[in-house]
Amino acid sequence: MSSSDYTATIGIECHVQLKTNTKLFSGAGNDAREAEPNTLVNHIDFGLPGALPVLNKEAIALASKAAIALNSRPELFSTFDRKHYFYPDLPMGYQITQFDQPIISKGSVSFNLDGKTFKVGITRAHLESDAGKSTHPANKDYSLVDLNRAGTPLLEIVSEPDMHTPAEARAYAHELYLLMRYAGVTDGDLYHGNMRFDVNVSLSKTDKLGVRSETKNLNSFRSVEKAVAYEIKRQSELLDQGRPIVQETRGWNDAKQKTLSQRSKENADDYRYMPDPDLPPVIIDESFIDSIVQSMPNSPDYLRGELAKLGLTLTQSEVLIEANLDFEFAKYISLILEFAKNGQDVKSLANWLVNIDIPLMREHESKASNIDRNKLYVDVLNLVKANQLSSTNAKEIINRCLKMSELPLDIAEYAKAENLLQQSDIVALTDIVKDVISSNPEAVKDIQAGEAKAIGFLIGQVMSKSKGQANPGLARQLIDEQLK
Amino acid sequence: MDSFAWDSINDIAAAVRNRSTSATKLVELSLNLIKDAQPKYNAIILVLDEAARARAKQIDELVESNQDPGPLAGVPFIAKDNFLVLGGETKAASKILEGFMPPYQASAVNALEAAGAICVAKANMDAFAHGASTENSDYGVTKNPYDTSRVPGGSSGGSAAAVALGLAPFAIGTDTGGSIRQPASFCGVVGLKPTYGLVSRSGVIAMGSSLDCIGPLASSVSDAALVLDVMAGKDKLDATTIDKDELGYKDISAKPLKGVKIGVIDEYLSEHVDSDVTRAINQTIDKLTQSGAEVKRISLPSTKLALACYYIICPAEVSSNLGRYDGQRYGFHEPDAKDLDESYLNARGKGFGKEAKRRIMIGTFVLSSGYYDAYYKKAMTVRTKLINEFESAYKEVDFLIGPVAPTTAFKIGEKSSDPLQMYLADVMTVAANLAGVPSISVPVGADSNNLPIGLQIMAGQRKDRDLLSLAMAIEELGK
Amino acid sequence: MARLSKDDVLKLARLARLELSEEEVSEYFTELNAILEYVEQLQGEDTSDLKPTNQVTGLINVTREDKTIDYGYPVLDLLKNVPFKEQDQIKVRRMVG
Repeated sequence: MSSSDYTATIGIECHVQLKTNTKLFSGAGNDAREAEPNTLVNHIDFGLPGALPVLNKEAIALASKAAIALNSRPELFSTFDRKHYFYPDLPMGYQITQFDQPIISKGSVSFNLDGKTFKVGITRAHLESDAGKSTHPANKDYSLVDLNRAGTPLLEIVSEPDMHTPAEARAYAHELYLLMRYAGVTDGDLYHGNMRFDVNVSLSKTDKLGVRSETKNLNSFRSVEKAVAYEIKRQSELLDQGRPIVQETRGWNDAKQKTLSQRSKENADDYRYMPDPDLPPVIIDESFIDSIVQSMPNSPDYLRGELAKLGLTLTQSEVLIEANLDFEFAKYISLILEFAKNGQDVKSLANWLVNIDIPLMREHESKASNIDRNKLYVDVLNLVKANQLSSTNAKEIINRCLKMSELPLDIAEYAKAENLLQQSDIVALTDIVKDVISSNPEAVKDIQAGEAKAIGFLIGQVMSKSKGQANPGLARQLIDEQLK
Repeated sequence: MDSFAWDSINDIAAAVRNRSTSATKLVELSLNLIKDAQPKYNAIILVLDEAARARAKQIDELVESNQDPGPLAGVPFIAKDNFLVLGGETKAASKILEGFMPPYQASAVNALEAAGAICVAKANMDAFAHGASTENSDYGVTKNPYDTSRVPGGSSGGSAAAVALGLAPFAIGTDTGGSIRQPASFCGVVGLKPTYGLVSRSGVIAMGSSLDCIGPLASSVSDAALVLDVMAGKDKLDATTIDKDELGYKDISAKPLKGVKIGVIDEYLSEHVDSDVTRAINQTIDKLTQSGAEVKRISLPSTKLALACYYIICPAEVSSNLGRYDGQRYGFHEPDAKDLDESYLNARGKGFGKEAKRRIMIGTFVLSSGYYDAYYKKAMTVRTKLINEFESAYKEVDFLIGPVAPTTAFKIGEKSSDPLQMYLADVMTVAANLAGVPSISVPVGADSNNLPIGLQIMAGQRKDRDLLSLAMAIEELGK
Repeated sequence: MARLSKDDVLKLARLARLELSEEEVSEYFTELNAILEYVEQLQGEDTSDLKPTNQVTGLINVTREDKTIDYGYPVLDLLKNVPFKEQDQIKVRRMVG
């Protein structure tokens, strides 16, 4: 395949919507998800004459947190610039951004992919305000503009062109997502475009970078990976045919699973950047940065380290780290760390969380369980350790309890009432085993003839007779003894 | 020239509060004066009679119920048409904003209303404040009250003429490169450009954001000071506002002149200045010296550069600020535009006047990549040079004086065919805007045609109290 | 230094979305060149040791709390000036891309 002759170079720009209450330069609300069109607006967002921007201080705090999360520190001095162009979703005829002196310069994002560690450099990250949203009704000669989103605070994070495969691009995007969510910078609601990715792809056979294309507004890791893969294929085919790559902007068409040209970047107007005279510079000091660092929660990497120390696998860690974000109320990671602190069986807990709890939460998202998980897992674990609960029934109990609005007061009692407790009473079991042996002479003969499989059958019979409550290990032991 | 002479603002407000007159009576008086003067002078672009009468009624009701409407109780005023004022259209005298009904109003207007003042009308101006004669208005030029064949100056020409004619006790205007001071000089009234940032720009149509200042035009320095006192101070809606002076600006008295250090700007008294203007300035200097002030010549070598600097920075900011006028959300629009592009080109091509387009293009040029460093960035460093020069000057003297303009009011049509000539007349006023320092124009006589001549006084940044105090003293000297 | 051609004037007008008549292009061509010639005197100044000034107040860190603000007028008033609307959205000619 000729694409392997070329080295793909990939850079990603990500627009992260900041988790503030209000917009970047106006006091309108910042959550447009359920809002009617043109209701979260004011004269500033509408670009009315006489309107002046005033900076939201929370944006500086969040941008500073992002800097730390990107393995960097916020710049002590930053300013705002105007970026000029004409478009109906840009009411002032310019976007307020940070061109000359952004709040973040130089950082890095590291991630693990297939056992290898990758480090992608961050060129810079800056604050800017979003434009409004436009829709284009089918078969009409007009478009509609809703300015609810105009003025929303964004942090644009620009990576170095350090990636070379679609998988790396995807992994980077995903890691960036985790970092920004953990730092509390964004809600990360990808469906609503809280993080939008633009991928720049170029191919080359030499050290010199080729002409790149930009595919904009990807809003999932999957589409990042697919768009990059498509571009690599498309460009390599063109290059193989000796045709040039046009430097242009493209969009991802998910239905067609391809990138499509939107407009040629060469014709883009000169933005005529100008320092914004309406906004004084932002100057922060080391003590402010220190207080930001103090206020940050543990990073995904830190948590990965802690979980690894506890013996969890990479997969388990990733599932927990992700779920910890999506189901904050469940406090999965705290749960694990508490268990570890109290010397309890973290591996069992991790298993249950990863295989039962979290999948259940993902399936029934709207009915997320807020029961006292600590109590549930501690009690179940104790019952298992005391051989009163088989591992199968432990899972059953967990499954049922997570669907309740409140835990039963006494889990052991509940298990007993539901006939889920394991029968580990040797006397009772001995009787059952005797009964089963005498009822199944064929199986006994097989076992004595050396067919080990038949033991399973007998154990099954014991389980059946005991309504599933028998401790299978104990049953086997008793069968062995009785057949000697 | 027929003009009505109002009492001082303090006296007017006192009369309203003690019920010897009423806000309603004052508003009616003002509206009548406006109606009478309008055909001859065209100082007004819109009368806000309904809103003003309603407001007057409210003020009178407050007085009736023994409440104090404020220091400007019932005082009518006129706002330049680039102030957003509720109750009517705001157009900045430009066709591109025809029909625009603002949903909010300028913070400065809010402050004046909170103090009891009542906006009765919007004053004519050069469209978007681009100009020095009011000839660039899309609604006809305003005539100079002293000679209707001449301009009132600009861009706050309507405001200055209105005060000269006595249509209201005071008016408010904006000064980006001399637009309050020069028309004040041409019309024989007091015009103040305060320290940049002292009065909020929120709700005022932006021209040159780092240069625009809001200020009063009135018939006396103390009236102007009183109005400033009401408007001044930090505003949450404008991030470039500074604190008001602790002592405010209302209880200011004329500065004793003995030992006061005043610098006369050499470059402002060059051979390009009218001899009558020079004479009037020199006469004032003599009076100052006789009163014991220490007057000396000071050089501001960057004066000529200041003009070039201004005509890069100002158009650049203008081209940026006027980007929002595209007919898509308000104002002039072409209903028959065949596509998006055309809708922009038509709205802006037909809605903007010549001067606006000129400045937009210059501004677009100096900001474009390839030229930004040589023009815009260079101008910003020259601005620093000028600021440094002012700072050095203020180490030697406390005040700087000179003429406001090289001439008195020129004839309508005299300069309008050559934009560069018009720009050159701004040479003495732009420096104060570039440096952000306060400057005031005080009438100090007339030329042989009885046309008013203004003296410009500048003080250091944030020294508005001092400035007003000296201005009062100079005003006294003229009496 | 820079001298604008008529083509440059057209390009600037395009960049600024200004439609100019033939006559206007000629007029502006003369005027803009005269103005640019005038302002070019700045080129001769040595300002290499000076920092650019873009704000004269000296203010820094002017921010507001992250709380919604009631600006004192109904939000619907903003739509009142919009020339063409549909379902409370601003209606404009078809936007490409």
